[in-house]
Amino acid sequence: MIDVHGLTKRYGSKTAVDDVTFTVHPGKVTGFLGPNGAGKSTTMRVIVGLDRPTHGSVTVNGRPYAQHRSPLREVGILLDAKAVHTGRSAYNHLRAMAATHHIRASRVDEVIEMTGLQSVAKKRVGGFSLGMGQRLGIASALLGDPKTLILDEPVNGLDPEGVLWVRNLVRYLASEGRTVFLSSHLMSEMAVTADHLIVVGRGKLIADAPVSQVLAQASGTTVRVRSPQATQLVELLQGPGVTVSSTEPGLMEITGSTAVLIGEAAARAQLVLHELTPVVSSLEDAYMALTKDEVEYHSTTSGIHPDHAGAHAVTPASSEPDGVDR
Amino acid sequence: MSTTTQHPGAHAGAAEATPHGPHLGFGGVIASEWIKFRTVRSTVWTLAITLVVMVGLSLLVAFGITSAMDSSHAHPADTGIPGSEIVTLGYYFAQMTIAVLGVLTITGEYSTGMIRSTLAAVPRRLPALWAKALVLAASTAVVSAVGVGLAYLVTRPMLSSHGMAVDFGDRTTQRVLIGCVLYLVAIALLGFAIGAVLRHSAASIATVLGVTLLLPILVLVIGNWVSWVRDLGPYMPTTAGERIMSTSTAVQAGSSGAGAGSSSGPTPLAPWTGLGLLAGYVVAVLTLAAVMLRRRDA
Repeated sequence: MIDVHGLTKRYGSKTAVDDVTFTVHPGKVTGFLGPNGAGKSTTMRVIVGLDRPTHGSVTVNGRPYAQHRSPLREVGILLDAKAVHTGRSAYNHLRAMAATHHIRASRVDEVIEMTGLQSVAKKRVGGFSLGMGQRLGIASALLGDPKTLILDEPVNGLDPEGVLWVRNLVRYLASEGRTVFLSSHLMSEMAVTADHLIVVGRGKLIADAPVSQVLAQASGTTVRVRSPQATQLVELLQGPGVTVSSTEPGLMEITGSTAVLIGEAAARAQLVLHELTPVVSSLEDAYMALTKDEVEYHSTTSGIHPDHAGAHAVTPASSEPDGVDR
Repeated sequence: MSTTTQHPGAHAGAAEATPHGPHLGFGGVIASEWIKFRTVRSTVWTLAITLVVMVGLSLLVAFGITSAMDSSHAHPADTGIPGSEIVTLGYYFAQMTIAVLGVLTITGEYSTGMIRSTLAAVPRRLPALWAKALVLAASTAVVSAVGVGLAYLVTRPMLSSHGMAVDFGDRTTQRVLIGCVLYLVAIALLGFAIGAVLRHSAASIATVLGVTLLLPILVLVIGNWVSWVRDLGPYMPTTAGERIMSTSTAVQAGSSGAGAGSSSGPTPLAPWTGLGLLAGYVVAVLTLAAVMLRRRDA
């Protein structure tokens, strides 16, 4: 159980986390989602006492992290894969971490085996790939057999097999009744891993709900309409909540309405339609829609809006793996 | 909530906490820091070089002096350098490697990010700092004692055949030998404390070498023109600390010829007062490091 209450963290004049309140419950995987720079890592660092909150309070399993008698047995942390001395071997790193809590050496061997690091455990960490570094970080987090796991971007740099392994591992740990809190900027990954989502953008809380609910609330249906009389059609459709965007003459993306309504309106006005396609919005679209105003670093190369960028350009069918949930 | 927590089957039995189970404790933190200290190459290198420098320099000087005595048929007393000073004089170069070791013990963690793992495991932070300092101090003490011991052994044949044998029963000799070890421990901790405050390897090494080697020379040079700067000379950290290894008494300062000052220079501190002052500087910087470690984000 992690309780974040009214958390604000400023670095100088820059506000990284802005009055965020949420609770992470045991027994399920909670995803912490947001674009880069949204304040995910900062929040996680504050939870384990590495950074001091400017305002607000954070407790883990009922008390501030630093006040636990055995912090590593309460909370396992993967903050980033590089929180390891590059000149030391993975085995010695884990042994040193274990020694602080009098964790026996056999447990070190166990976590090395669990994370598949046997063959490189005696090698210096400096030569590790990003994926091996992640595995070492996860091994370190599991060392104390903790009730709560905090993993910052655990699948970053992992190959598909590793991604699947992390997904199964965190789901298993949660099924045992542990609290699992993991961050990602990849909605697709969260959708198949997490039960619950906490979404942040620019330091502010955007959503705190079950995965299915976040998706439903974020995905407005888009309809693609092709018509030689586009201008008249737009006038017909104008109303509250309806937005129309156009990328080429005669082709429109309409949100806030449905194919049925548009088709009927066109028929009444006797307008010609060449295409009327409901576009199933993907999870990535939903996520983009949620955070589009909150992205700190907008890419401006293409000039198109984020919600037009990816999935809309391809056919709806190609986004199906994510669309399954709907 | 904790009651619903089950341990993974793979280690279910063993994970049940034993009565005095795996808790965070200072003993464990020291054990952890000891593992960390000896499992990086920089430790091995700096300590090895320290030993080589201490033994090599003593050997070289002992050889030079005894050769000179042979050719000039001089008396031991004429050299003005007792055996105890010959076996400890490697300290001057050893303090550089020891200071670097002290710095790297802490800045190595900041430059690699390891400090976040360390402080996550010891969230109260200060025990980690004290444990590191303890491991560093103990290791430095052992290595410098070994260095002095080896220097004694390798120079013994030469020195005793020229009537300069180290007399362990002599009070001054005891002070010089023990003082050499204590001085190097103080320098190691000075480097460590500066590293903990600055958190950056290059900046910390530059600072600690500046303070130990450059500062006394600067004060000496500027002191030629500015009298109050000259009066500060004896209070410089290393100038004060080195007094513990001096064999000339304070009243005779300036007459020994080994010292740098003119005869009108300020009075050097008494040996233990000097070392005490150096220790005071170290405690002051360490305190600053502790306060900053508690306050700053990691």
